Amino acid sequence: MPAYRNDFNNRGGRSNSQSRPQVQQRQAVQRQAQTRPVQRPMFRNEIRAQQQMQQQAHTQAQPVPAKKPRRYYDYSLLFGVIFIFALGLLVIYSSSQYTAMLEKGDAQYYFKRQLIIGSAGLLLAIVMSVCDYRWVKNAVVAYAAYLGSCSLLLVTLISGLASHGKTRWLSIAGISFQPAEVAKVGLIVLLAYYVSLHGPNMHKRKYLIRAIGYSLIPTILILKQNISSAFIVAMIAAVMLFVAIKNYAAFFALGTAALAALFSARPLLHKYIIDNGMTSRPEKYWMRRIVGWAAPEIFEADAYQTMQGMYAIGSGGMTGHGLGESIQKFGKIPEVQNDMIFTIICEEFGFIGAATIILLFFYIIYRIYKIAYNAPDVFGTMLCAGVMAHLGLQVALNIAVVTMVIPNTGVTLPFISYGGSAVLVTMAEIGIVLSVAHQIRQGS
Amino acid sequence: MKTSQPQNKRRDKGPKRLMDYMAGKLSVSVFLIGLALFALLIHIFFIQRNNAEGYSKIVLNQRQSEYESRTIPYRRGDIYDRNGSRLATSERVYILILDPAQMRDFEAVNAEGVKTRNVIEPTISALVEQFGFDEADLRATINNNPNSSYIRYMKNVSYDKKQEFVAYQTKKNEEFLASTDPVIGKNRIRGVWFEDNYKRSYPYSSLGCNVIGFASSDGAFGSGGVEQYYNDILTGVNGREYGYLDDEANLEKVIKPAVNGDSLVLTIDATIQNIVEKYLAEWKNGEIGSKSAGCVVMNPKNGEILAMASTKTFDLNNPNTTGDYTEDEIYAFGINEAVSDYRLKNPDLPGITSKEVPDHYTREEIMKLGETIAMYQNWRNLCVSDTYEPGSTQKIFTVAGALEENVISENDSFQCNGNVQLSDGIHTWKINCVNRNGHGILDVTGGITKSCNVVMMNIAFAEKAQTFMKYERLFGFGSFTGVDLPAEANTENLGFATDDIGRTQLATNSFGQNYNCTMIQMASAYCSILNGGYYYKPHVVKQILSADGALKEDVQPLLVRETVSASTCDFIKHALVETVESGTGGAAKVPGYTVGGKTGTAQKQPRAAKTYVVSFCGFAPAEDPALLCYVIIDEPKLPGEAAAHSSFASEIFSKVMAEALPAMNIYPEGADGENYVIPDTLLPSEEGDSHQTMGNEGSTEEESTAEGTVNVLTNSNGEPVYETISADQLTEETAAAQTDEFIEGEDDGSELPYELPEPETFEMIEIPTESESESETAE
Repeated sequence: MPAYRNDFNNRGGRSNSQSRPQVQQRQAVQRQAQTRPVQRPMFRNEIRAQQQMQQQAHTQAQPVPAKKPRRYYDYSLLFGVIFIFALGLLVIYSSSQYTAMLEKGDAQYYFKRQLIIGSAGLLLAIVMSVCDYRWVKNAVVAYAAYLGSCSLLLVTLISGLASHGKTRWLSIAGISFQPAEVAKVGLIVLLAYYVSLHGPNMHKRKYLIRAIGYSLIPTILILKQNISSAFIVAMIAAVMLFVAIKNYAAFFALGTAALAALFSARPLLHKYIIDNGMTSRPEKYWMRRIVGWAAPEIFEADAYQTMQGMYAIGSGGMTGHGLGESIQKFGKIPEVQNDMIFTIICEEFGFIGAATIILLFFYIIYRIYKIAYNAPDVFGTMLCAGVMAHLGLQVALNIAVVTMVIPNTGVTLPFISYGGSAVLVTMAEIGIVLSVAHQIRQGS
Repeated sequence: MKTSQPQNKRRDKGPKRLMDYMAGKLSVSVFLIGLALFALLIHIFFIQRNNAEGYSKIVLNQRQSEYESRTIPYRRGDIYDRNGSRLATSERVYILILDPAQMRDFEAVNAEGVKTRNVIEPTISALVEQFGFDEADLRATINNNPNSSYIRYMKNVSYDKKQEFVAYQTKKNEEFLASTDPVIGKNRIRGVWFEDNYKRSYPYSSLGCNVIGFASSDGAFGSGGVEQYYNDILTGVNGREYGYLDDEANLEKVIKPAVNGDSLVLTIDATIQNIVEKYLAEWKNGEIGSKSAGCVVMNPKNGEILAMASTKTFDLNNPNTTGDYTEDEIYAFGINEAVSDYRLKNPDLPGITSKEVPDHYTREEIMKLGETIAMYQNWRNLCVSDTYEPGSTQKIFTVAGALEENVISENDSFQCNGNVQLSDGIHTWKINCVNRNGHGILDVTGGITKSCNVVMMNIAFAEKAQTFMKYERLFGFGSFTGVDLPAEANTENLGFATDDIGRTQLATNSFGQNYNCTMIQMASAYCSILNGGYYYKPHVVKQILSADGALKEDVQPLLVRETVSASTCDFIKHALVETVESGTGGAAKVPGYTVGGKTGTAQKQPRAAKTYVVSFCGFAPAEDPALLCYVIIDEPKLPGEAAAHSSFASEIFSKVMAEALPAMNIYPEGADGENYVIPDTLLPSEEGDSHQTMGNEGSTEEESTAEGTVNVLTNSNGEPVYETISADQLTEETAAAQTDEFIEGEDDGSELPYELPEPETFEMIEIPTESESESETAE
C-alpha cells in the first residue's frame, strides 16, 4: 500500500478495534498529544513533560474508559450543504416573490415550501449520517431499493399513458413526488452493491452486461417522461462504472466522441437550419428545444426562456445588480425559481457570485470525493462516487443549459432550485455520504 | 491489486478497501467534473464580458417597455350655463384592454411541453359570460395578436360593469387555486385590464347644440361651438405611469398624474335657450314653417349671448344625423361632393360634371357623400356662419350715422313718393319703397317706424358713400365680430370690398340690401345702440373654472369701440319703441312691457325668385334694455310675396320675450317678483314640451297677433292704419305693400347695374331732388 493511504483509513472495520494491543494504545495516546491543536511547535522537554502527565493520568484512571474508536464526521460537507442551501433559499425568495405573489397570492410561497422541505431533508441527512450505511449492503435491501424505485417508475409510466398525458409525478397518500429522483438513489445503491460484490472483475463481460442492464431499465422507464432525467441516470451509471472498471480507453473514447458531437452539433445544426430555410416549428417537443438551441434567432419562441436567461446572465456583469435587484425575475423568465435560478444568481451577484456558487459546488463534490477515497469499503466508495456523479452532473448540466452550451433540458440545480422531490433526494444522498464518512476511522 | 489477501476476502464479503485503480479513477472523475465546471465558469465569464452591455440594454428595454403604454387620461372640462346647469360633462368609463402576450406568458410550458396553466380559454369564457362578447371573434383577436399587450377590445365599460368583472375574476381565480382537479386547478383568468377613460355626455341632448358643439368620444377634440373654440382650455394633459432607470439602473415607477381640463361657464342661460328653442320649434313645425330660422338673445349691456339657436338641431350625444334633409337634398349634396371627390382622387384626369357623376359613382356612394355633407350642414351654426341680406333692420344704422355726422337732424322731414328713380342717362330705374304709393311726408322717426326705403335712400345720399360705409364698419359690418364661436362667416367681400361704393349700392345698402351680414353682427350692432354707443364683443363664455371648480378667469366684456353718441342712441331707441307701438313692428308687442324693435323683410337673390328673409330685432324693457332678441326666418314656406311678412319673426320675438323677461326677473307692469309665478315651461326640459305660457294666457292683445298679422297699410291720407287681417288675406293685396322688393326695371326690362358706380353728373342731378324734398318738408 502506498504510504499516503495510511493516513486514516487502513484499518477500517469494527472487529479490528476490539482486539487492539496495549502497545498500540500507548501510541494512540502519543498521537493524541501530537494531534492536539497547538499554537506553536512544542519543545522536546515540553513534550516529555506532557507525556509524563498523561502517563500519570492514564495510570490513575484505570481501567481505560475510551476504547471506542473516534469516528470521523464530515462537518465541512454538512456545513457546505447548509450554506449552499441557505444561499439557495435567499435566491429563491428574491427570484420568485414576484411570480409567487401574482400566481399564489403569497410572495413567500416558494420560499416557505423550500424552507420546510429543505429543512426536513437536512434533518433526514443528519439522521442518516449517524446510521451505518452498511446495513444497506446486502442483496435484499439493495435489490429492494432498486426494484422498488423501478416499479414506481413503471406505475408512473402506466398512469401517464392511461391519462394520455405525460407526467413525472406520482402521488402516494396525497404526497406527490418524482419517482425519477428516487430511481437515481435506487440505481446508485444497487450499482454500488453490485460493484462491491464483483470489484476487480467488473470489467468481465457478464458482470458488465448485467450492470449496464440494471442501468438501462430505469433509464428507459424514465426516457418516455423526462429525457434529461434519463440522461442523468445513464450518466450516473456511466460514471460509477468508469470508477469501478479498470479500463480507461473505452471511456475516454466515448467521452471524446460525446464532447466532439456536442461541440460540432450546434454549428452543424445551425447550418442545416439556415441552408434548408427551416422556419416552421417542429412537432416534437424535444426537437423544438434543439432547434431553439441551435438557431435561437429563428425559433424565437422556442428559445425564449433560454434567451431571457442569457440576458439575465449577461446583464449581471462582474458584480451583478445586487441581492433582490434582478430585473428578469419580473415575469420574464418562466419557472425562474426552478431550472433557471442560476441565471438570477448571475444577474444579482454577477460573475463573482456565479464563481462562488460553482466553487461551493466543487467544494462539496471534492468533499464527497475525499470521503469516497477514504471510505471503509468499496460499497461506500461507490455510493459516494454515485452521489458525486449525480451532483456533478446536475450542476454542470444545469449551468450548461442556462449558458446555452447544450439544449434546454429540465435539469435542476441541486440544493438551490425549488422542488420537493429533488431537494429531498439530494439531501438524502448527502446523508448517505455523511454516513459513509462517519464510518471512516480517524487514525494512524 | 498488489496484495492478494483482500481478494481472497472479497469472495464472500466483497472488497473492504478502495482498490488502486478506483482511487485513480475517482480522482480522474472529480478532476473532469472540476474541469467541466471551470470551463462553464470561463464560458459565463465570456458571456458577461462580451454581452454585458448589449444584454443589459435588452433587459432594461424589456423592463421599461412594460410600463410605457400606461396613460392616465385627463378629464375634459365641463360646460355650464350661466346659472350652473351642466350642459356638457365627462363621465368616467373604462376601456377593456386585452393582453394576449401576458396570457401566453402565463400559459407556461414545462420541460415536457405540458402547459402548467391554462389562461386563454378560461379568460375567454369569463369575458363571454360577463360581457356577452362573440366568442369566435374574441378568440380570433387573441390568437391573431399573440405578441400584443394592448388591444382595446371594448370602450365605455361602466364602472359597475368593470367592478363586477374584477370581482368575478378574483373569485374564479381563487376557486381555480383551491381546486384539486388537475385541469381546473391549472385554469387562470388573466390578461384583461381596464384603462381609465372618460365619455362625453350632454345632459340636455340638443339644447344649445350650436353653441356647445360636441366633443369626440375620447374627449380629445371638439367639433362646433365652444367645444371646438375652447378645445385647448377644455382639454387637459394626459398623465402617465412609467418606469425610468435611476443612476443605479434601478427601475423607478413614476406616476405623473393627468392635468384635467378647465371648465367653462357660458353666458348662455339654459332657461332662455330653452324658451327660444321651444318657439323656434313651434314655428318650424307650425302651419307655415320655413327653410330655416334663427334667434339670438343677448344682453345689450355687455355683449353676452344668452341664447342662440336655429331650427337646425341635433342631439349632441348622437350628432351624426342628417337632420331634416330629405333624400333628394342629400342626393343633391352627394352629387356636388362627388364632383370634388372625383377631382381629388383623380388629379390627373379631367374633372367630371355633376351630370356625369352617376357614371362614376353608385347611388349608395353618392348618398354616403351626401350624408356627410348633410351632417356638416346640419351642424352649421346659422347665427354665426350663415350670411344674408338683413333688410330693414339696417335702417337704424343709416339714420344713426347721418345723425351722428349732422347730415340730417332729428326733425328733418322727407317726401316719399313710393320710389326713387336712378338713371344712367339711357335707362331709368325705380327703387321702390315698402309702400309703392308712397308714405308721403315722413320725419326721421317716421322713416324708421314706417320702414320707408325712400327716406333711407335720401339720407344715405345725403351722407354719401364714405360716411355711410364708415358707420357700417363702426357697427361691425364687413368684419368679424370676434365672437368666441368657430366658423364665423367672413363678410368682408359681401358688400364691403371697398368704401367707394356706387350710388345704386348706397341706395340699396341704406335699407339693408346688397350686402350680407351675420345674425351675430346685426345683434351686436343693435346692442351698441341700446347701451348708448358701446360696441362690445359678443361672447358666450363668462368664466373659466379650473378642474376643481376654482375661478381661473372671469371674462370681462370687451369694449371694441364706441359707435355713436348717447343722444343718437336715445333717438333711435325712441324710434324703435315707436315702431312697435305704432309702426311696422306691432306684432312684436309683449303685454306688460314696453318693447322696441325693427322689422326686416329682405328679398333674397335672385330677386326674381321672390324669396325672403324676414326678421325682427327688438329689445325690452324700453327704458333700460335688458334683453335683445333678434329673430330671422329664412324663406317662410309661403308662395312668393306672401312670405314677405316680418310679423312671422315679430311673433316669435314676442313669445320669446314674454317668457324670457320674467326668467330674467323682469316682471310685467303690475306684477312683481313676489306674486309672479314662473311657469314650469321656463325651466329647461329635455323634451321641450310646449305648454301655454302665461304671456299668452288671457292676453287679448296677443290673441289678435296670434290669429293674423298686423300690417302697416297707408290710407289715402298717408296715415298709417292698423288692420288685423287673416292669414288668407295675406296672400293677395296686402302682401305687396309689405314687401321690401325694391327695384323695378324700366320698360325695356334691363336690370339695374348696382355694382357700377354712378357717374358724377347723375349724382349731381339726384342731389337737388333730395334737397328739394328736404326743402319741401321744411316748408
